[in-house]
Amino acid sequence: MPYILLLPVLLLIVFIFIAGIIFGALQSLGYFPAIGLKTFTLKYYKYIFKDPNFFSSLKFSLYTSFVSSFLAVVVGVLLAYFLLANSKKDLGFYNVYKIPIIVPHTVAALLVFVLFSQSGWIARILYRLGFIHNMTEFYPLVFDSKGIGVILAYIWKGAPFITLITYDILKKINDSYSKVALNLGANSFQVFWYVLLPLALPTILSGFIIIFAFSFGAFEIPYLLGPSNPKALPVLAYIYYKSIDLFERPYGMVINMCITFYSLIMVVLYVLVFQLIKKYKI
Amino acid sequence: MKGFLKNFIILVLILPLLIMFLWSIVNSWPWPYILPQDISFRAFLYIFEPSTKIFRILINSILLSAIVTFFTLLISLPAAKALAFYDFKGKSLVKVLLLLPLIVPILSVAMGIHLSFIRLGIANTYLGVILIHVIPGIPYGVKILLNVFELNGNKMEFQARTLGASKLQVLRYITLPMIMPGLIVAGSIIYISSFTQYFITFLIGGGKIVTYSMVLFPFIESGDRTMASALSVIFVINIGIVLYISEKLVGNIYKNSSKYFV
Repeated sequence: MPYILLLPVLLLIVFIFIAGIIFGALQSLGYFPAIGLKTFTLKYYKYIFKDPNFFSSLKFSLYTSFVSSFLAVVVGVLLAYFLLANSKKDLGFYNVYKIPIIVPHTVAALLVFVLFSQSGWIARILYRLGFIHNMTEFYPLVFDSKGIGVILAYIWKGAPFITLITYDILKKINDSYSKVALNLGANSFQVFWYVLLPLALPTILSGFIIIFAFSFGAFEIPYLLGPSNPKALPVLAYIYYKSIDLFERPYGMVINMCITFYSLIMVVLYVLVFQLIKKYKI
Repeated sequence: MKGFLKNFIILVLILPLLIMFLWSIVNSWPWPYILPQDISFRAFLYIFEPSTKIFRILINSILLSAIVTFFTLLISLPAAKALAFYDFKGKSLVKVLLLLPLIVPILSVAMGIHLSFIRLGIANTYLGVILIHVIPGIPYGVKILLNVFELNGNKMEFQARTLGASKLQVLRYITLPMIMPGLIVAGSIIYISSFTQYFITFLIGGGKIVTYSMVLFPFIESGDRTMASALSVIFVINIGIVLYISEKLVGNIYKNSSKYFV
């Protein structure tokens, strides 16, 4: 009986999602009958793993995803704590923070562009205040090789998401344990650092994993805001994929397999974190 | 201090959208002006000009995402029920499988399955785009409904069955009203996920299926700030309306249902 109920969902997951990964893996191994490639080979992997461009892309993707997710978690948790501290008074403010969650990633890229490009609004303010005398004096934050524009867009999108998923758990802990700690003479920083944070850590970690994996595997923001060199991995994969020369496609699939590999590690971590949550019953 | 911090947070959240809104209603806004010099609605006029078809594409996208949402909920509902109320072999494996699309990027999957879709003749069709949009929605649908089922239990359904209600009656009068808030929350997340997809729509739709995200993307790419901003304003408003309606619905249901359940 449960199997019948699960059948439709599982059919889609297996025949589209899992099949997509498997076909991608086969093509990355050189099995691509549609263009006459039928022998398995590791040559595409060897080529990609020798390519310095690939490694700078991998580094760029890991670095932008990690920095943006880490900062989003810090900002998001602090915002949740801040909301907790004055939630009852201010319902309007409580809803405002959710706005970036509903703004699509493509639009978030536009926002960063409008604000932080060299002719953007921030540069204009600095010009008016006399800090810069020319738009080219404004440090390039968009299309820059440090990926600052990409990171800003992901933080703006990610932090409120972290707030959303940690607020309830922080509130629960706050209602029960914090008062005890305060009663026993802890100050509010100690309550936050020694009580709230450790107890909410598994939930915070699961949030980190979700936004890290998303930013690591998404195309839109690095394509719109990232530098042309190094390119983020998903962008690089797509460039190989869309090439008119179909024989280039297996290279793109190798990169896809790398993205999938990293995200599968994230899945394992995610499952482990959830076992932690269950164990401590939070 | 607290008031300052609060205002700063609101500024960071709202200011970018405000600047974008200003960009959508300017004729030109050259460096180094901080406020626009002349206002014009040319971008909005262009969007609603019938010959550009943008408005029709918007309606099409809304319908497409509504279908995706309905279909995802339809298949997530029984799955969540199975996970909530049955113990069976491979349950934890199924849970992990259904979680995968939340973390493994759909982009890699879409590139892998693209060729098969072409072979099956569903690439470049609405069916293909709907199928690929359903995948990222499944983890949300199943997970949220699973939580709701676990919270509510199935005692009500058992009681109704014992009192002689048919399976259909139980579904219509007990299960659906009870889980409606969960359906609406999951539905809005799935709708947003589908409505904002750019890459996989572009890949699987092959440029033949044009959604609103695909109209917007080239304008951002080319740096046409006025057009991109106007399209984005409509984009965000559309999502806002959907969320507003769904929150109101959830609110109403809780209000009405509190008499019976809480």
